[in-house]
Amino acid sequence: MIEMRAVSKDYNGRRVIDNVSLKVETGERVVLFGPSGCGKSTVLHLIGGLVIPDSGEILIDEELVARAYRNLREPEQRGIGMVFQDLALWPHMTVGENIEFGLKAKRIPYEQRAQRVREMIDLVRLGDYLKARPGELSGGQQQRVALARALALAPRILLMDEPLSTLDDELNNQLREEILRLHSDLGFTLVYVTHSRVEAKELGTRTIHIRQGRVEQENALRGRSREDIHEPPAASCLRDRHY
Amino acid sequence: MEKRLTLAAAAALLAVIGFLPLLTMVTNSFFVDGLFSLKAYQALWDSGRQQLVLMGQSVLLSLYVTFLATVVGVPLGVLLGKTDLPFRLTLTVLLTLPLLIPPYVIAVAWFAVLGSGSWISSLAPETSKYLSTAYFGPYGCTGVLFTTFVPIVILLTIAYVGAVNPRLEDAGRLVSRWPGVLRRITLPLIAPAILFAAVLVFLLTLGEVGVPTYLRYPVYPVETLTQFAAFYNFSAATAAVIPLLVVTLVVLALEYPILHNQVSELRTVTFGGMRTQIKLGRWRLPLLGIVSVWGLVTVALPLAVLIAQSSSLSAYADAFARASDSILRSLVFAIVGASLLTLLGFFCGYLIHNRTLPVWRGIDALTLFLFTLPGTVVGIGLISLWNRPISNFIYGTPAIIILGYLAQYAVLPTRMTSTILDRIPRSLEQAAQLCGTSWFTTLRHIVVPLARRGLIAVWIIGYVFCLRDLGVSIVVYPPGSDTLPVRILTLMANGTPSLIAALCVILIVVTLLPVGAVALWSGRDRIGA
Repeated sequence: MIEMRAVSKDYNGRRVIDNVSLKVETGERVVLFGPSGCGKSTVLHLIGGLVIPDSGEILIDEELVARAYRNLREPEQRGIGMVFQDLALWPHMTVGENIEFGLKAKRIPYEQRAQRVREMIDLVRLGDYLKARPGELSGGQQQRVALARALALAPRILLMDEPLSTLDDELNNQLREEILRLHSDLGFTLVYVTHSRVEAKELGTRTIHIRQGRVEQENALRGRSREDIHEPPAASCLRDRHY
Repeated sequence: MEKRLTLAAAAALLAVIGFLPLLTMVTNSFFVDGLFSLKAYQALWDSGRQQLVLMGQSVLLSLYVTFLATVVGVPLGVLLGKTDLPFRLTLTVLLTLPLLIPPYVIAVAWFAVLGSGSWISSLAPETSKYLSTAYFGPYGCTGVLFTTFVPIVILLTIAYVGAVNPRLEDAGRLVSRWPGVLRRITLPLIAPAILFAAVLVFLLTLGEVGVPTYLRYPVYPVETLTQFAAFYNFSAATAAVIPLLVVTLVVLALEYPILHNQVSELRTVTFGGMRTQIKLGRWRLPLLGIVSVWGLVTVALPLAVLIAQSSSLSAYADAFARASDSILRSLVFAIVGASLLTLLGFFCGYLIHNRTLPVWRGIDALTLFLFTLPGTVVGIGLISLWNRPISNFIYGTPAIIILGYLAQYAVLPTRMTSTILDRIPRSLEQAAQLCGTSWFTTLRHIVVPLARRGLIAVWIIGYVFCLRDLGVSIVVYPPGSDTLPVRILTLMANGTPSLIAALCVILIVVTLLPVGAVALWSGRDRIGA
């Protein structure tokens, strides 16, 4: 569960997050929705620990992880995966190395690492591209690598910052399906940022509207149920694994 | 059309100023009295062992300096550019200071610390004797050149850690602590820039003449200068500089493709203005202490002792009496040189930025090559081309010094302008063009005003480098037109330490004057804004 209590954040004297309080239940799919520059991405960065709040508190699974001007849990200690808007794939590493980086940082033994990378590659259906560099892949393939990297450590929470905004409609549809499939199978909590109504409707079980750094409105959506989503055999082996 | 013509003219001018002299020099080295001859090379070959020893010493010195500058400069650059270390700006300015001063002034300053008459010698005469003996030779040369050139590594590291897309680091921070992110993401991403800095330090050390001359350490460029200045054996000097030219060319040819491809890749993923900062936590104060002590010992101490050594009115009166003409000349040459460098660099930088003509890559490579060439090589090249009756109006006048500045330092304004133009959206210029304005009008009313601050910085850098130049000036200056750095080096043989110290302080003040003035002006400008 993620909880933000009266969190505010200023950048260069401008308030970008203003007294935001929100709660995301475990396993929920919440979409942060709003116009560009309204502070949606900053909310994600606050949850991830990449930005420190100026006031308020942030809790993950009821543990206080940040309060005013202080991270009590550093980003790498929060069990969070994130897909960035520009994907942020490391250009000097291969696809395999990108996925492996977090596993290496956690000092997971080589055999387990190799197996996990293989599982992730199969999960996102990129089997032939293990040794390719991000620059050699198409936009959709890069997107899948970013997803695999974010999921490699089996995070409890997955944050996605407008990851599909640069893709064409067809690819966008495909990847939305894929995200739903992965969520259904792995059971992580998803916080998804977008300014697209279609994405919000498709991906969220709840939307939180943000405007000018404040929570304006919350809507419960029907969302797509687990039965709607096809589950591939590769994914089932990954459930309940944590690093 | 006017755009292409102007840029082509700038490219051609740079080729005439920089490339033609080198071509003439290489060609001339194969001719004696108008006839093809390998006599100069035969003589070089005959003294092969001696030349090899000198070249070996030059290369070893360059390797030591490069190693130390990289090992120390990269961590300092990361600390100053990436962390929340207190007083980062002040420390950066302090540590950058040696780059703005001629290297041999640093050598003089260190002798004031270590040598006879210093406070060390009065406190511990034996230690001082030992230190000053060790100072004159490879150790002293390495130490002085290391402190002079380490700012290159620091500044490039600061610039490039700031250019890394913060999202790439954020993605790493979600799974790893900062040391792991730095080691496996940030530093590998900026590795080409670090390599570039190392190559620059290597080549600048290789071409340095002032410090080895002062510290009496025989290296290859000093030998070529001796052939030229002491024996006036021009063909021998010309043949002797060819190996330096070849070494520079080989090193750059090996490094250039790596740098060009990978640094460009780094730039394309940059997010303007957004930076992530490492919180040092409990390490903040200890690291501040280490960096401050480093800056105080390596920069502030020698300069303070130099100022103390010069602190008598009679020393300054003597200095002005013996070098006021050189001071004035240096000022005028530096102002003219910096202004022309800014102009030439603007057009060459524009050409490289917009890739308007296919020669842009050649111009980019040529400017870098000329910068890394020893000043003596550039100087001998200029003499090869211009020393003929028909061009005496250049060879026999200070114009030859200005041409030397333009050739040697063109890379600085060119690269800086190209970077400045990167920050101006192309659409602004295109919008003006669609209104029907000419290219020059667009430049005058759109591009130059937007790039104004950057162009002032370009001018200052040009001024500083022209003023501190020794390598080119010492070879090409016409009789009665020596510059202050040349005059100081000449007076070192028979001038008193306090006179030399006073001249060095005057040189530092004259060099830093416009930097301070612009810093003040920009501060007021910002407050006004």
